Amino acid sequence: MKLPKTYGYLKKDLNIIEKSLHQMIQAEHPTLRSASTELLNAGGKRIRPIFVLLSGHLGKFELDKIKTVAVTLELIHMATLVHDDVVDDAELRRGKPTIKKLYGNRVAMYTGDYILARALEEISTLRNAEVHKLFSKTIVEVCEGEIEQIEDKYNFDQSLRDYLRRIKRKTALLIAMSCKLGAIVSGLSKRDANRLYLYGYYVGMSYQIIDDILDFTSTSKILGKPAGNDLLQGNITLPVLYGMQNESFNKRLLETFTDKDNVQPVDMEALINELKQTDAILNSYQLSDHYLQKALTTIENFPSSRAKQTLVDIATFIGKRRS
Amino acid sequence: MDTTYLKKLLQDSIHHKFLEKYIKQPNIDEEKLIILSSLISNNTGLTIIEKEHYIITTMMVQIALDTHETVPVETSEIEHQAVITNQLKVLAGDYYSGLYYLLLSEIEDFDLIHCLAAAIKEINEYKMKLYYREFNTFDEYLFLTEKIDSLLILSVANYVNEHSLDNVSREWLLMNKLMQERESRLNGIIAPIYEQMADLDRSTFLTRIDTMIENKKRTIENLLVNLPEEHTAFKLHVHSKLSEVMYNNISIAEEG
Repeated sequence: MKLPKTYGYLKKDLNIIEKSLHQMIQAEHPTLRSASTELLNAGGKRIRPIFVLLSGHLGKFELDKIKTVAVTLELIHMATLVHDDVVDDAELRRGKPTIKKLYGNRVAMYTGDYILARALEEISTLRNAEVHKLFSKTIVEVCEGEIEQIEDKYNFDQSLRDYLRRIKRKTALLIAMSCKLGAIVSGLSKRDANRLYLYGYYVGMSYQIIDDILDFTSTSKILGKPAGNDLLQGNITLPVLYGMQNESFNKRLLETFTDKDNVQPVDMEALINELKQTDAILNSYQLSDHYLQKALTTIENFPSSRAKQTLVDIATFIGKRRS
Repeated sequence: MDTTYLKKLLQDSIHHKFLEKYIKQPNIDEEKLIILSSLISNNTGLTIIEKEHYIITTMMVQIALDTHETVPVETSEIEHQAVITNQLKVLAGDYYSGLYYLLLSEIEDFDLIHCLAAAIKEINEYKMKLYYREFNTFDEYLFLTEKIDSLLILSVANYVNEHSLDNVSREWLLMNKLMQERESRLNGIIAPIYEQMADLDRSTFLTRIDTMIENKKRTIENLLVNLPEEHTAFKLHVHSKLSEVMYNNISIAEEG
């Protein structure tokens, strides 16, 4: 997601957050410092800080508090990515070698632990019980989601509900939390904070569904990994679940994964082609749109403001994402 | 506080059905649990709930760190089950870290969250030095090992402002480490310390490490003499363990 012009006005605050992120990961050990910095420099959409800032602008905006929350959320996200690459044995992220690939598993583990510790050190400076309770519950639930994802791998019997719960934990919760925490530290009412939480949740669900669609419809160059990689890794996503309603695709899918340890990237090409012949992609986009509409409805009663308009624009932008 | 009860409480707090199906139930470092219990039990400024939370959360952090140490250095497994086990070791460590934060958030102890996080940060700095073998002498190596092993406990000791166990904890934990290394060597496993003394043959190595253990033992015995009365349970525990060490050494010497 490129920074749309509509939230270009956040650039100054985002730069401050970026600088703070850099400061936070200046470890004493040179390799620990380079590993963390390389990850930060590899980019990323910084969608969590953006949502924190926007929610903050709907209330009494105090950059110091907002920055603490935004930086912590991004650090937690970064720590998760470093460890995820060990879990997935991934060599590339955002088209660049992963920390695991560059320095090995052990350094990746230490880097992730270091970054998470920095995040908790930072957030502990906020003396707000509600913030900590929400934050900690979310971290635990995100971890449970990741564990659940392993549990559900290659499980072709899973339901749509299983998938939705998984992506809620994997993606939507942290975005929902970004919106809610921005609201809390900016003094918005409980009701408004909850509305923003729901907005973030719906946007997160929609965003992840589109990500899961793109795994089949985009190119390996854009994805930075082979198309169909999620399925190759045994992750059953929405397009596959919808595709399985088609008898022919279902048959081919189950045949391909009869010996799951020996499925090759080339097997994915045939499966992707067959998936595209079904309604799976279209139906997946429809569910994503459904979530986006709910996101927009959730915030429609907020008074007009530039921040509100940006939240609307982001939801619309996510819905149009096709690469 | 009863360590059997604390152990059970800790096991229940970190219980996760799916994790336990694939990875071994985490090892609870009983020596650290006993030290923590002694440090915190007699603190009159804390409620029972706070005491339990302090001990359980610190142990959760230790378990999280220890679990991540079990992630293989190289990813070489191709068998599905082994791959899952290794993946879950990564996620389990993160999960336990999340749990400690959750428990301390419930009692709104933001300063302890900060204290534990700062300790984790520092421990990982030392782990990097150890991983890249940034030491020139055996003493430097032992210094890193000691830091990694005792920093968490000492940070909590500092947090509750109870320093009377600092030195004895440091020495006792390091001595336990040496004994583990010795045990590994006896079982034919090339333990990290042995790697540092790779030029030594088996019997020279054992003599060297026994001398170190013996020295540590004397130091610990001296430190125990001056411990305040409230640490009597800890003192008795260490004395009893030290006599076991003596017994084991004699048995091994007799076996030749």
